[in-house]
Amino acid sequence: MGVLMEVKNLVTRFYTQEGTIYAVNDVSYTLNEGETLGVVGESGSGKSVHALSIMGLIPMPPGKVTNGEVWFQGRDLLKLNKEEMRLVRGAEIAMIFQDPMTSLNPVLTVGTQITEALKLHLGMNNTQADNRATELIDMVGIPDARKRLHNYPHQFSGGMRQRIMIAMALSCNPKLLIADEPTTALDVTIQAQIIELVKQLQKELKMAMIWITHDLGVVAGMADTIQVMYGGRTVERGPIKPVFRDPRNAYTLGLLNSLPRLDAAQKRQRLTQIEGSPPDMRVEPVGDSFAPRNPYRTERCWTETPPLRQAEGGVEGHMVAAWYDLREIRKQQQLEGKR
Amino acid sequence: MMSAPAPLMHDKKEVSKEVILSVSGLKKHFPISSGIVFQRQVGAVRAVDDVSFDVYRGETLGLVGESGCGKSTTGRTILQLYRPTAGSVQFEGKELTTMKGEELRAMRREMQIIFQDPFASLNPRMTVGNIVSEPLRIHNILRGKELREYVENLLEKVGLNPFYINRYPHEFSGGQRQRIGIARALALNPKFIVCDEPISALDVSIQAQVVNLLEDLQQELGLTYLFIAHDLSMVRHICDRVAVMYLGKIVELAATDELYDNPLHPYTQALLSAVPVPDPSVEEDRQRILITGDLPSPANPPKGCNFNTRCPVRMDACFREPDPALTEVSPGHWVACHRVP
Repeated sequence: MGVLMEVKNLVTRFYTQEGTIYAVNDVSYTLNEGETLGVVGESGSGKSVHALSIMGLIPMPPGKVTNGEVWFQGRDLLKLNKEEMRLVRGAEIAMIFQDPMTSLNPVLTVGTQITEALKLHLGMNNTQADNRATELIDMVGIPDARKRLHNYPHQFSGGMRQRIMIAMALSCNPKLLIADEPTTALDVTIQAQIIELVKQLQKELKMAMIWITHDLGVVAGMADTIQVMYGGRTVERGPIKPVFRDPRNAYTLGLLNSLPRLDAAQKRQRLTQIEGSPPDMRVEPVGDSFAPRNPYRTERCWTETPPLRQAEGGVEGHMVAAWYDLREIRKQQQLEGKR
Repeated sequence: MMSAPAPLMHDKKEVSKEVILSVSGLKKHFPISSGIVFQRQVGAVRAVDDVSFDVYRGETLGLVGESGCGKSTTGRTILQLYRPTAGSVQFEGKELTTMKGEELRAMRREMQIIFQDPFASLNPRMTVGNIVSEPLRIHNILRGKELREYVENLLEKVGLNPFYINRYPHEFSGGQRQRIGIARALALNPKFIVCDEPISALDVSIQAQVVNLLEDLQQELGLTYLFIAHDLSMVRHICDRVAVMYLGKIVELAATDELYDNPLHPYTQALLSAVPVPDPSVEEDRQRILITGDLPSPANPPKGCNFNTRCPVRMDACFREPDPALTEVSPGHWVACHRVP
């Protein structure tokens, strides 16, 4: 598999009246063709802002991508002008958002909204565009496709609207789909429907995907690679199974431990909670942002930012940013447990 | 600490068989009216449609279902925040639906609610101290220095620094605000608390903190919870018994492990299979029961069984016969389905 996109040292800031918000702090990674990358983090972790930065959708001002390169098909997206970027968005990289209620225009029929991209990017005429739009709506599992083209967004339910957003995103056969919490506003049964649909369409269309979510369960079920973000940085990243089985960053471990399991019988144990609260993004990060909440922190965590590097003894591509060695700590604990 | 083995809370929680709250035949229909000058009622949204259950003293009863199924309305109707269309709600043997005025106000000291959205449920112009002490002032229980001390103690109990008593809600994070909401609910020493999605709006790393706090408080104060939620993994952790609602009706009710290990209603089965598990090895082999379509409108529920538009195992009887009644199929396990004998 070839490399589809390479993100290098991405830094995004917002200059607001209350001061600078350090939203994304030096994020780098590569995405392969056809790969599904799950980006996990809490609100304020920079997961959404990093995606918007790639898409050139950061409102400027107050925001600004202050550093970095995004190489996609031999071009640095951050260097493109508005017009060039407009031709990439929608055609080569498409995006779907969390709230299907607000991302559709309420005064235009869904047909008008889907055919807009087809006419702009693929130069279709009205009839061609209508036919393709019908195919697309049919593809995402909405019955009576041709009639539904003439309906307005309010005539669809939340799940249906998200299907329309997906149809719209896929209309030009993009090479990359970025999905920003696309199922968070939906009920679990509808979420399951949407995930199945996207997985199946991804296989058919052979596109890569970045799936942004706070739900580790969703990532576990669909991603090839997981990237955990905290305080605007990638703190751990790697193939999905090794990261879940053998997490090396204290935040990843803490998250996994704090989740109750649907498939575990009641043991009536307290949940193992992560103390404290997420970092204030208005403060310039010094050292490891998780240090104040981390029981395994070292002196170095307070002052120096750990680089993302290969986890020792881990599978290839399992990267972690930590000054402590969780594997060693766990060994010690097991030893103490035996004594 | 994150990695140290969690202390065992209690092997088996003591739940008495004493009924503290009894709900029977509860209905809440919201009228749909039409007309400009003369408003006529043209229909009704059947948000809660004939719901019956008991809550035992000291237990946590979970109420789960998708948005629009009527779970929050049920909680609010129990507390008489909405007046029911029909049915009865008895709290410690006293009928609430016919109570009004001073009598009802006095009853409210026993029953409180914690809301979902910690941003919308706190008055931004009141200090934390005023928010938490308001119930005490309304009921004229404490005043002056005593009141202040009591509030400081409460804040400490929910894990907030009493030093913050003069701050305003916007100075706090989501998790801290939810703690303020909990302190307010506890102020009058209630016996019963409706927790209406108390963690849904919180960050993942904060949810466990709030759930642990709720469990600690229950242990310490002997509280009874009605826990309304849609996160089925968290419900499994916190609840003793769980009721599943669909379109205004309870379709299944059982002890927690029994419901999760042996779900009998096709809706419960589909709901449980749709919940993602944070473990790639488990997810790999999981078979999902996908139900198609969306929730029908509660203003116009389907004829026959409510679930017949989406049910994967529907049969003729589900359209012909009236809605199946909730029946006890094994001790404590109630199901409403024609398929289940």
